Amino acid sequence: MTTNGHTVSDEEIIVCRDVHKWFGNFHALRGVTTSVKKGEVVVIIGPSGSGKSTFIRTINRLEQHQRGDIIVDGIELTNDVRNIDAIRRDVGMVFQSFNLFPHLTVMNNITLAPMKVRHLPANEAENIAMELLERVGIPEQADKYPAQLSGGQQQRVAIARALAMQPNIMMFDEPTSALDPEMIKEVLEVMRELAASQMTILAVTHELGFAREVADRIVMFDEGVIVEDQPPDDFFNNPRHERVKHFLSQIL
Amino acid sequence: MAADTQTSTANALPPPRTEVGVIGWMHANLFSSRLNSALTVVSGALALVILWYGMRWVFWSADWTVVERVGGLFLIGSYNTELACPGQNCFWRPQVSLLLVTALLGMIWGILGGGVAKRIAILTAVVAALFAFLPYSLERMGWDVRILLLANLPSTAIGWAVARYTPLGQPRWVVAWGVVVFLITLVLQRGLPNVPGLQPVSVVYWGGLTLNLILAVGGISLSLPIGIALALGRRSNLPMVKLLCVVFIEVFRGVPLITLLFMSQTLVPLAFPEDFPQNSLFRAAVVITLFSSAYMAENIRGGLQALHPGQAEAARALGLPGWQTTMLISLPQAIRNVIPAIVGQFIALFKDTSLVYIIGMVDIVEIGRVFISRPEYLPSAREMFVFLAVVFWVFCYAMSYVSRHIERNLGVGER
Repeated sequence: MTTNGHTVSDEEIIVCRDVHKWFGNFHALRGVTTSVKKGEVVVIIGPSGSGKSTFIRTINRLEQHQRGDIIVDGIELTNDVRNIDAIRRDVGMVFQSFNLFPHLTVMNNITLAPMKVRHLPANEAENIAMELLERVGIPEQADKYPAQLSGGQQQRVAIARALAMQPNIMMFDEPTSALDPEMIKEVLEVMRELAASQMTILAVTHELGFAREVADRIVMFDEGVIVEDQPPDDFFNNPRHERVKHFLSQIL
Repeated sequence: MAADTQTSTANALPPPRTEVGVIGWMHANLFSSRLNSALTVVSGALALVILWYGMRWVFWSADWTVVERVGGLFLIGSYNTELACPGQNCFWRPQVSLLLVTALLGMIWGILGGGVAKRIAILTAVVAALFAFLPYSLERMGWDVRILLLANLPSTAIGWAVARYTPLGQPRWVVAWGVVVFLITLVLQRGLPNVPGLQPVSVVYWGGLTLNLILAVGGISLSLPIGIALALGRRSNLPMVKLLCVVFIEVFRGVPLITLLFMSQTLVPLAFPEDFPQNSLFRAAVVITLFSSAYMAENIRGGLQALHPGQAEAARALGLPGWQTTMLISLPQAIRNVIPAIVGQFIALFKDTSLVYIIGMVDIVEIGRVFISRPEYLPSAREMFVFLAVVFWVFCYAMSYVSRHIERNLGVGER
């Protein structure tokens, strides 16, 4: 199956069945059932408070779901710490606020996890880091500290840091929302390149142009459930749900 | 670049002359308005008057003979008196200990390189050497005292050179050297029975600045790790660990140090086996350390609370286990953010060591107080306290100076 130019296999790499999540009394996820195939690029949109960020955060257990099943790359998310750590090694995550470690250089931000978690020798980890920095276009910033970089550069370092663990899945939680317009472009460029390299991607974003161009599916959340799940053309041209039209009219 | 040459970009002009240089600074900060000019003149005059009278007192009317009289007692208390160390000169023992410590600091400087370690080593050596210039007039102290104090300068250099130019300077040896120096110091201070020249000196006679420094260095080096452990415990998810840490912190913060020191003499022995070697110094050190740890824990917890939760999330999302997230991501940032509070606690601890007089220990302040209670020195109380204040100030300012450099060194990534 080929959509938007990606080779998508039939193997389901993320499976979610009836996932529920409560924050105190607030029912944030109200039975989310979906799956993502290997190599697929899924863009998640929705109004704020709709549960879209919470949903991708349950996939690597930054939030704990209270009912339902989540299976990532064949590993079921349970309270077993070994399973959680195995899934986290396999799922890279990029945050809205970058969350680079300010006390470490760009190089050390990237090599930390490969050295401490994968136990790679320093020179090997540094070689990987330099390759990744070249891939995201900022090899000359390796020895600087995050605060010395622009927002767009910081986010590209964050992407390199996540890629250094050689994950099978990359998740983006509003990666461009904190950036100036001219920096959004450079980050989306890197994400586009990633999508083209057959990486499985789950991205929460409001960049509809990016979604139309790169996504295999667009999923819309509202009030804790998925209200629409279609390829981009159908999503924009004949949405099934009234909420989607309303939402699109508000942000387009 | 000269101010009047044309800069390369056509539109960039040099700043107006009134904004730069000494004149500019004075214009901006001292004489920016009529009111400010008047305030500058008045406070300047006031400062001059205070300086004039202060200097006149220090160099003219003050009688510093009392400081001269106390002399070496300031440094070691009654350690070298006939009672403590009969028939011998024991002054060399704490001094050799000090030489070992400065040599160790020199080695650490040699291993870690310049920056903070260098400043600590040099400051310690210089302060130690400065004490050689105190007037000593007690007959049991001759020139050897001054020479041994001055020898702290070369001993730092020797330590540095050993670390730099011999195989002993490998980082893994530092801890070993630290332990060796600690043990030798302990043996030198306590003495060994039946060894000529090293006869035991009871802890009762340990005193003076040495006592303050032993309590402060012990307290500082132990209260930081204990405080970190308590802070992490208080944030732990395990209810029992959390409860124990909260109880410990609140108990030790809620009781005055003086009360704790009184209680130490009766309560600390209960915490150890009966045959455990202990004495009033040990008990005081335990109480001061625990007291300071409770404050330290809250300082560090404050630093941990201030961290953006995204930091730990990012680390966990990379697959780092919880303890590595704490040790590599959270703690380094938290500690860096609260260095001023931590050093403030160190300084408070150092000053608080003078409270041990209430359990009968004779620290540097108590020595001064004992002297000025003698009728002949009664009029010299002012000189005595000014001297003591200067001694404390030197040490506290040194700590604050080093901390500023630690902050500067660690702050590289912070714009």
